[in-house]
Amino acid sequence: MSALPNQLNDIIEHYGPHLAFSEGVRLATDAEPDKVVKTHCCFCGQQCGIQLKVKDNVVIGFEPRVDYPFNKGMLCPKGVKRYLQGAHPDRLITALRRDPASPGGFSSMPYDEAIARTAAEIERIQATYGNDAMGVLSGASLTTEKAYLMGKFARVALKTPFIDYNGRLCMVSAGAGNKKAFGVDRAANPWSDILGAEVVWISGSNVAECAPITTNYVWQARENGAKIIVVDPRITPIARTCDLFLPIKPGRDIALFNGILHLMIENDWLDHDFINNWTVGFDAAAEHVKEWTPRKTAEVTGITERAIRQAAEWWGKAKTSFLMHARGIEHHSHGVQNVLGAINIVLASGRIGRENCGYGTITGQGNGQGGREHGQKCDQLPGMRDISNPEHRAHIAGIWGIDEKEMPQAGVDAYEIFRKIDRGEIKGLLSICFNPKVSLPDNNFVARMLDKLEFYVAIDFFLNESAYHADIVLPGSLHEEDEGIVTQIEGRVIKINKAVDPPGDAKQDWRIIQDIARAMGRERGFTFNEPREILDELRVASKGGIADYYGITYEKIERQNGVFWPCYNEEHHGTPRLFEPGSWNPIAKGAGPFYFPDGKARINVAPYTPPAEDVDEEYPIMLTTGRVISQFLSGTQTRRIGPLVEQYPEPRIEMHPRLAEKLGIENGDWATAESRRGVITLRAQVVTTIRPDTIFIPYHWAGAKSANQLTISAQDPISKIPEYKVCAVRVRRAAGAPDWANEQGELAGQTHRPNLVG
Amino acid sequence: MAVPSHLEFFVDPNRCIGCKACVQACSECDTHKGYPMIHLEYIDRAHSVQTVPVICMHCDQPTCAEVCPADAIKRTGDGVVQSARKPRCIACNNCVIACPFGVPKMETGFKLMMKCDMCYDRSSAGLKPMCAAVCPSGALFYGTREQIEQSRPRSQAVKKFQFGGQTITTKVNMMTPKVASAEYLDVTAAMDEQTIGKEITFNILDAASGY
Amino acid sequence: MTKETIKAGAWGIAVTVALAVLIIVGSRNLAHFDAALVAYTFATLFAAFGITYRYAMWLQRPPTALYWKRGWQVFLRPQYLARNIATWFKRVTGDMALNHFIARRGALRWSAHMLIMWGCIIAIAITFPLVYGWIHFETLPNDTEWYRAYLFGFPTFAFPIHSLMGFLIFHGLVWASFLVIAGVMLAMRRRMRDHGAAAVQQFAEDFLPIILLFAISVTGLMLTASYTWMRGYAYDFLAILHAITVIFTLLWLPFGKFFHIFQRPAQLGVSFYKDIGALEDHAHCRRCGEAFASRMHVEDLIEVERKLGFRYEMANEAGHYQWICPRCRRAMLALAQGRMWRGESQI
Repeated sequence: MSALPNQLNDIIEHYGPHLAFSEGVRLATDAEPDKVVKTHCCFCGQQCGIQLKVKDNVVIGFEPRVDYPFNKGMLCPKGVKRYLQGAHPDRLITALRRDPASPGGFSSMPYDEAIARTAAEIERIQATYGNDAMGVLSGASLTTEKAYLMGKFARVALKTPFIDYNGRLCMVSAGAGNKKAFGVDRAANPWSDILGAEVVWISGSNVAECAPITTNYVWQARENGAKIIVVDPRITPIARTCDLFLPIKPGRDIALFNGILHLMIENDWLDHDFINNWTVGFDAAAEHVKEWTPRKTAEVTGITERAIRQAAEWWGKAKTSFLMHARGIEHHSHGVQNVLGAINIVLASGRIGRENCGYGTITGQGNGQGGREHGQKCDQLPGMRDISNPEHRAHIAGIWGIDEKEMPQAGVDAYEIFRKIDRGEIKGLLSICFNPKVSLPDNNFVARMLDKLEFYVAIDFFLNESAYHADIVLPGSLHEEDEGIVTQIEGRVIKINKAVDPPGDAKQDWRIIQDIARAMGRERGFTFNEPREILDELRVASKGGIADYYGITYEKIERQNGVFWPCYNEEHHGTPRLFEPGSWNPIAKGAGPFYFPDGKARINVAPYTPPAEDVDEEYPIMLTTGRVISQFLSGTQTRRIGPLVEQYPEPRIEMHPRLAEKLGIENGDWATAESRRGVITLRAQVVTTIRPDTIFIPYHWAGAKSANQLTISAQDPISKIPEYKVCAVRVRRAAGAPDWANEQGELAGQTHRPNLVG
Repeated sequence: MAVPSHLEFFVDPNRCIGCKACVQACSECDTHKGYPMIHLEYIDRAHSVQTVPVICMHCDQPTCAEVCPADAIKRTGDGVVQSARKPRCIACNNCVIACPFGVPKMETGFKLMMKCDMCYDRSSAGLKPMCAAVCPSGALFYGTREQIEQSRPRSQAVKKFQFGGQTITTKVNMMTPKVASAEYLDVTAAMDEQTIGKEITFNILDAASGY
Repeated sequence: MTKETIKAGAWGIAVTVALAVLIIVGSRNLAHFDAALVAYTFATLFAAFGITYRYAMWLQRPPTALYWKRGWQVFLRPQYLARNIATWFKRVTGDMALNHFIARRGALRWSAHMLIMWGCIIAIAITFPLVYGWIHFETLPNDTEWYRAYLFGFPTFAFPIHSLMGFLIFHGLVWASFLVIAGVMLAMRRRMRDHGAAAVQQFAEDFLPIILLFAISVTGLMLTASYTWMRGYAYDFLAILHAITVIFTLLWLPFGKFFHIFQRPAQLGVSFYKDIGALEDHAHCRRCGEAFASRMHVEDLIEVERKLGFRYEMANEAGHYQWICPRCRRAMLALAQGRMWRGESQI
């Protein structure tokens, strides 16, 4: 039975987050590493190359990796300090079982016993309630090999349709929009195409903080003469010095794109040849945007007409361009429509599939791209295949050695899994690489659902906040403790190399999954000895699919410093730029550059709808959420790295002085923000860099500091992405400091900064 | 070993995004491990996200060294102004408040001035200083003059700075717009400047009404 | 010859002469002076001249001169004098004797410095008075098993030769050399392994002093070994070798790293300057208004900068750039550059 142990501070005292700083050999100025391993950063979708210095099976520091072309040695602060996640005092080195009598609420248990208990519980639940009573939550920070294995494990070993992953909170709107428009879901261009663009359009992306290395591409484009247009409710660092800043009201992006398309048509800033030859649906879209006059667009978006016209003119007249967007337009109940609107202005310009003419979504997680291609998504099979397509099912069933009829049908999205728990349909849950209690919206509900489970097993290297509710915790592996491939922001497949061995009983995640399968007597298909063997099966499974990895091997990645998919065979170099005239793809088969049978892209009508929860008298202020540079996602890793925590110790409520004045709040005051779902008290940061009708709270923190207590679980009907980027709140000056600020709270037991040596 | 003469430092604060990768990486350098020497600060966070990274500019005639009563600050033959020599520094703070760029830091516990030394362990071995190696915005760039001229066609590197009546010439370059064809950067002329960048209200439609 | 060098030379001569007089007087007209040690004596006299000359030159640099003057002024200010004297004792113990500030830089570094420093202090305390004839030992007239120590010719305590006390006293230099050798080993280890040190260290500045200390200690120990266990084997040669190492070190004192021994006490003056500065008027930045230093410090620096030929005067109301705090200096650098770009990108 799951029940949250009462003593939160007790858990924190035993399992962290504690802060790790450089000390001992990591601070010594005379340490000689045993080896230096070329690999990549474990955090965001850019997957910067990095070299890890290893001594005595501990990563003791880093060295810039200048030979890797994407970042040429550049890193953000997370990449610099990532090494501190290893040899961490909070690291799980044994399996744990829930034991309220024990200090910290858990006690250690032998690994084999934990596996046996997990297998027994899964078997009991499935025998009692049916196979579908088990759910699996996976993640897009896993290597592609692991992601593939998770999809297979759910469908073949657990025989449940209910697997989904945390890319549901991240990439699905972009993915769905891209598939609807292009027939394929991948950034269309390598980032080098940004450099020669005349106009760079950035919508809903805090590039400087969420994809820091991309900053250099943007500034470099400007050095070459580009105009930079940024659309955001906040003046982010990339927006500060951009050429045109459009301070959009949260949730109104589609209106802006429709307004831009309207002006492009009005001024005939169109590529008629391209539209006629390679797109379908322009006329309907043109008809639809007729109503989006600059005036109406201005009224809905809250941007001046003058600025909208300027943006349209620059975009319309450009010879080359690059449009990129991120969660800012995707985390909406109409996220897919926002994406389609963005793609529409790209397709109408005809500026895609050529050098310096590009489009791309900025991937969030490390393997945000690769993790959404090979079947851990509820409706998907490897190679970006469709689980409801009989041919696709047959192909994969053949590779998995099962009867196609045995293969479960499509499952449901991650949030729906929790609603199924609520309805009593799912009784058991296995999670890996996912911290839903922090990262899902309306997360007080999520926490209650975790408690409602009959059995919950979590795999992680630290005890994340969701795992507090687990019956069994299995010690997984850190990024640097395993090898495998990931696909980064550009669609480039790269190789993660192992630097150290997992400590204690900790195991590489794919071994844990296979151990569970074996303990259930379902080891057929789960007897891989190394990630390379999983990749070999994945390559065959993806063959002929949209995301074709057949020609990708570790050796080729090494040789070419990455391989862009699709890559059809051993001789194929890969496909850095999609949609080039005359390019071949398995769907169009030569008919045209896009991934539809006719080879043409789809221009979709993208109707505007306001956010699911608009402001009203009761809740008059918009809340938007996002990241800060020094933290990553739910913070399981980065809230344990001292120098990163020091950089931005706790969340604050960002608000404009005009709003603050109205509310009687001054910079540094405690302020309470409240939505229909939750309430949070944080310090106010009063800044003129945000719209006066909007507040911003970063989402990386747990418990009382979690922004997702407030956010709404409204989802996009197509992508099922939650609407993190806008909901209605009210804000007031708090009477006093919140409880967490008075307690040791999450900074309990933090280690002291050591002294300089030498 | 000395810093190779064909490698130079180029700073462009206008590109800075305040990410602090430089600060975090600076503390990984073996000449000052655990203690970042680069400064990275908001100029006025209440009104702007503008940030400024400041490394030692390595003056040809360093004010810090001249005002040092202990003769502790030395400029090596390659033009790098080194951190105070540990046996000599008497922690008087002259350098800290006299440096025209505001670079040296006083570690009061150590009774020692420490400053950016271009990661001398790295740069003297031909490697990039840590901050410039990692800087994701190109605000800090270390490389050859050919590289910078090729990659920054809009920019012109200057190494002369005006502070009131004083001209300071440095080893480190500052990027200025080519169209300005400036021979030097007049620092004290920016005395009354507040912050530089977009205003949120500028393009907001209903800025005057409601929130 | 400049005015400064003449002044410094005069000081050098004065101190050297004074030392010579003290040697003559202290050894009772050379009665207790050991002629065999005359080379050492002349080396110390030369070192005294060199050190004084350099110290005087150093004190004449504008920033040093000012600090020297101000250091004494603030120390002797009547209203702070009692407090200053108390603090002086605390700081001499904490920073000078115990090297607290070095301990904070690192345990290894501190160990090395403490061992070397105290080894040298012990060795100097023993050898210099002996060389100058300021101390000598005589057997008691009634008991040849007892020794009496004489300071400047005045009798002090007596002790039995074959006692622990005697053993400790007569082997004082051995113990000192043990300390120095241990410290030298630690220092050398750091210099050989530390990447940061490797980047900036130079032979003359950083290795030579360690090597010299090691050479003095080892040749000294070899002398002891020679007469204790080897019946004086190669004693004369070793004595010359030892003398060479010591004399070289003495002559090198004014030029190299060891000069910091004489500079370091300035830290005390600085600390009083800071104390009093903090108690009195502060300088407020003329851009942001924040206090950032003592008013005395800023005004003194302006004077120093003028003497050094800097022209940081500003035409506007700030008056002089020294009235701008370091943080605003950094901000102005970015603002000056940023405003040049403003027109470029329609910021």
